[in-house]
Amino acid sequence: MNVKAELLRLMPRKGWIGFGAAAFAFFLIPILNSVTPPGSAVHVPDYLVALIGKFLCFAIVAVAMDLLWGYTGILSLGHGVFFALGGYAMGMYLMLSIGEAGVYRSKLPDFMVFLDWKELPWFWKPFDNFGFALVAALAVPGLLAYVFGFLAFRSRIRGVYFSIITQAFTYALMLLFFRNETGVGGNNGLTNFKSLYGYQLAESSTKLGLYTLTAVGLLVVFLLCRFIVVSKAGRVLCAIRDEESRSRFAGYNPTSYKLFVYTLSAVICGFAGALYVPQVGIINPSEFQPSSSIEMAIWVAVGGRASLLGGVLGAFVVNGAKSWFTVALPEAWLYILGVLFIAVTLFFPGGLASLILRKKAAT
Amino acid sequence: MSESVLESMPPEVEPAESGKVEIDPKPSPAGKNRRLSLLPKQRKIEQGRVDALTKGRKALLCVDNVSVAFDGFKAITDLTLILDEGELRCIIGPNGAGKTTLQDIITGKTKPDAGSVFLVGDNTDLTELSEYEIAARGICRKFQRPTVFQGHSVFENLELALPGKKGVFASLFARLSKAQQERIDDVLETIGLKEQKHSAAGLLSHGQKQWLEIGMLLAQEPRVLLVDEPVAGMTHQETEKTAELLSSLAGKRTVVVVEHDMEFVRSIARTVTVLHEGKILAEGSMDAVQSNPKVIEVYLGGAH
Repeated sequence: MNVKAELLRLMPRKGWIGFGAAAFAFFLIPILNSVTPPGSAVHVPDYLVALIGKFLCFAIVAVAMDLLWGYTGILSLGHGVFFALGGYAMGMYLMLSIGEAGVYRSKLPDFMVFLDWKELPWFWKPFDNFGFALVAALAVPGLLAYVFGFLAFRSRIRGVYFSIITQAFTYALMLLFFRNETGVGGNNGLTNFKSLYGYQLAESSTKLGLYTLTAVGLLVVFLLCRFIVVSKAGRVLCAIRDEESRSRFAGYNPTSYKLFVYTLSAVICGFAGALYVPQVGIINPSEFQPSSSIEMAIWVAVGGRASLLGGVLGAFVVNGAKSWFTVALPEAWLYILGVLFIAVTLFFPGGLASLILRKKAAT
Repeated sequence: MSESVLESMPPEVEPAESGKVEIDPKPSPAGKNRRLSLLPKQRKIEQGRVDALTKGRKALLCVDNVSVAFDGFKAITDLTLILDEGELRCIIGPNGAGKTTLQDIITGKTKPDAGSVFLVGDNTDLTELSEYEIAARGICRKFQRPTVFQGHSVFENLELALPGKKGVFASLFARLSKAQQERIDDVLETIGLKEQKHSAAGLLSHGQKQWLEIGMLLAQEPRVLLVDEPVAGMTHQETEKTAELLSSLAGKRTVVVVEHDMEFVRSIARTVTVLHEGKILAEGSMDAVQSNPKVIEVYLGGAH
């Protein structure tokens, strides 16, 4: 098979140039930081590495959301669930790897000692294995999405009804995870992590490594979604979005396509969550808040639906603005977010990406 | 898949008694909540029943004693319709006669309360299948309102309609073969949209969209084509072209046209079925039907 033709099928030449430029920009930070000493003008401070690393995680989520909403027309307002579950799976591993270095010098995680638990619950036990935690971070969101999606799509729940149910879904899980009896730290969540696979999380080099992994993850996820979007399956997804009944009479089963995209996007969100937790150092039930999931949709709306680039742009721009405004004007942030969302919807239905790609606005 | 199952299956029931032609009403269970069940159900129509219905004709599609009611309103009552291989059938009838409901039942959009629908030879009860499964068996449908994938180009619309494997993973790795591309070009030629090959379907005119939708059905290579009011909103010239196309298709495929435009029906029809209040009022040639007193009563002597 002709490699060059295959690559050009995936993205036009200009797209690859942009992709290369983005990859270069992402990797510039680890390169600079490894050749310059801390304190040098071009040495990126640790907090900024962690912040951009966080944005990269959000960008991964936004790409998955875009595949689901922009291309398939399914607006899930509960994708925070899958992100958080991936995060919790990683958090449980990190919690167990603290060992006896916690506040109470116990083998049990601190919150269990606090709750006067004598033994590790059964479902915690396998999480001392890094490989298991990684698989769980992908498989748990994937399985949950498969079951939830199967029931919803098979009953032909669509549009705003689906969105509302996903909001209820994330709210229900938030309540569940707030309970101490659930066994994952209650409202404090999981925190005070020390090391990941033997690397100390406080070390700059570990932070840089996690950042680099996340950047690679984003590039891979982007290419994977790009592969789907340019395939015939991608055209079927848009066909389902635009005219579901016609797609059915053309011989496609929308249920299985929707289930595929929904499950895949959940797995990707779980992956992002697993990368997110060691970088921010905490996971708690606030990730299940309905508003967190709504924000994910706003990233995509601002960046531009039905353009994977839009998801990445939106995640960076909205979260960049959030980081700045929540320090400068903390009370105003939610209003600004609301205005931004309305303004983009009214004046730039194609989002930021349409300014770059000059593409017809997605409807 | 279904065909191989069919071949390996022994005939279940002895052939119908010779000489017995009348058809006894036999309601079949039709699961209205089928979608909630996890396992796909497939029920074969008994061979005896098939023979009784299709005796002495080259039947392809049978609608057997179908009834459906919506909130007590009987849209279709004990309706039996048999379509022959390669015939062009027009279905006419006043508003509310059940024309669209009948198409909904055949294509799986509506599940009937009783009765069955099947393709002769396949004999699977279509009323228990999903729309896409019925489409895969070669029953295609054109909606009243032109329904095309607006965001896709004309070419892509036809590509999506082509027959073949339509599962997720097959689509992920699907590539257009040379034969398929030629097939699309053929269809483009037939429907006269060669020039618009790469323009978005949403930008086409109303008539062009109707044509594209017919083209999509052609690309699907159906055995049965259900066409709902194909000439609504078309110019006189477009109407003529459509009549020509549909007539040329008959013979190769079974075409069912639901239409209000009597002049159009007269220009293409060989056999006409008149529906009224969910039942068949008359069936026969256009002339026979038009001189049928019951039909005249419904069309002229009614409330309107």
